[in-house]
Amino acid sequence: MSTSAPETQRPGAAPAGAGRARRRALLTVSGLSAYYGELRALFDVGFQVTSGEVLSIIGANGAGKSTLLKSIVGMMNRGKAAHIEGVIDFRGRRLDRLTTEKVVEAGVTLVPEGRRLFARLSVEDNLLAGAFLPRCRQSAPKKLKEVYDLFPRLRERRDQVVSQMSGGEQQMVAIGRALMSSPEIILFDELSLGLAPAVVDDVYRNVKRINERGATCIVIEQDMRRAMAVASHVLVMLEGRVVLEGKPADLSDAEVTAAYFGSDVGRAHP
Amino acid sequence: MNFDEALYWTFIDIANGFLTGTMIGGYYAIISIGLALTFGVMRLVNLAHGDMLIVAAYLASVILALVPISPFASLIVIAPLMFGIGYFLQRGLLNRVSVQSMEAKGLPPSFGLMSPILVTFGLGIFVAHGLLEIFSSDARQIRNSLAFTAIRLSDDLNISLLRLIFFVIALAILVALQLFLRRTHVGRAIRAASDDAQIAPLMGISTPHVYGVALGISLAVAGTAGVMIGMLRSFQPFDGPQFLLIAFGVVIIGGLGSIVGSLVGGVLLGITQVLAGTYFGPSAQLVAGYMLILVVLAFRPQGLFAR
Repeated sequence: MSTSAPETQRPGAAPAGAGRARRRALLTVSGLSAYYGELRALFDVGFQVTSGEVLSIIGANGAGKSTLLKSIVGMMNRGKAAHIEGVIDFRGRRLDRLTTEKVVEAGVTLVPEGRRLFARLSVEDNLLAGAFLPRCRQSAPKKLKEVYDLFPRLRERRDQVVSQMSGGEQQMVAIGRALMSSPEIILFDELSLGLAPAVVDDVYRNVKRINERGATCIVIEQDMRRAMAVASHVLVMLEGRVVLEGKPADLSDAEVTAAYFGSDVGRAHP
Repeated sequence: MNFDEALYWTFIDIANGFLTGTMIGGYYAIISIGLALTFGVMRLVNLAHGDMLIVAAYLASVILALVPISPFASLIVIAPLMFGIGYFLQRGLLNRVSVQSMEAKGLPPSFGLMSPILVTFGLGIFVAHGLLEIFSSDARQIRNSLAFTAIRLSDDLNISLLRLIFFVIALAILVALQLFLRRTHVGRAIRAASDDAQIAPLMGISTPHVYGVALGISLAVAGTAGVMIGMLRSFQPFDGPQFLLIAFGVVIIGGLGSIVGSLVGGVLLGITQVLAGTYFGPSAQLVAGYMLILVVLAFRPQGLFAR
């Protein structure tokens, strides 16, 4: 997909020789269906994400975008309340039967919709909570410094309780907290929800920077224009299905709009 | 008795009320912290809390009958043992009836609110009867050389050395617990899970494990309290509920889920009881304690240190 993105620096990350010729898929989702009780929310969803890219998933409310991200991080494995079928493969490892904490340990994490910070904890405690995994504890001080370098404002407010902060600052904490576990893939659910447009621009600049530092990003966004601008690859969802997929340059606005609203144009199953 | 003398004795009574009450408050806090902690972390109302205190008292009496060591030294065994019991109780039993597992079984989440209460209620009965079966209903006590030692502050003012030691231990446990919750990774994970149990797993935090640790700590502190109970007075298998009531009182006064609140609640309850006992006789102690709880519930139902 995108060729300009840098390789991840993680030791033992990509198999030898895989980088040059054709990037191997980092994450492969195939035949994914998701259910809330009896209610089916995803229908045979399939796509691939290669290392270093930014995948934008766009679609209207209720298209199944959030459910898709929750499925990837194991938040849909809740017995009779919610479950998934299908295969989610990350570096040859099946994520679809893992608990959320095991998925995070494997290197995939989610910045949840509405930020969902630990409201009674300080900024720094929220960030350090993100470094709970045994493999992250040793490097937590170094990682904390990186996050503070990325978001200097958080360093100034490290002792503040997060519930007293503005939406934009809270979003920084949420993103920083996800970075603390050194993920290879970060899923962002509705980053712009409830934020002023200028703040959203800022948030997306940070997504770009995080991506440039080596993390693969999957972004859910309702704003089509913004989603296309940030992405190296776009997925349009409608009623629980992927209806359009491609590089932003290869897709016309009309095509995407049609897929978004569900006219017949461009309806295709990957 | 002239006026000066009356004033002096009033002063002594009040000073004694505050001193002894504060000391007793530390002991009350240790009895209650576990209940406050598990409620704060996983909204668990552990009705077996009092019975677990008595279990620890019996364990200590058994250990001390086998090995002649100081009752305080028995805590080296009791605290880890009670931690283990708590951890496995949570993972093996209480996690199975939580809101999340009720949802996973396709049952309404409200089942998950009621079930742990019923389970701990049953557990308390089971534990008390188990103790009766093993130890009979004879009252036991943990013998110790300090029970009647007092420190003289003036001719008319003493404090019990044992109560002073308990108060110091209570403060030490309180500080240690606060440091643990604020400064360690596991402590932070406990606070995170208590704040948002659905999101904590995204930090790599296993909530079943963290809940296990929380009940483990709760019972380790309860174990310490149990040994204290055994050193202060005699105990029998069915004494648990009366300590559960003290713990509830303290937690209501201090604020549900607050550890500092447990100390303040314990001290307030202790002072109220001692002063009431001094002025209105021993039978007034209990009434005064409940009056205090009523007043707090009426004017500040969330408790003094609610989070």
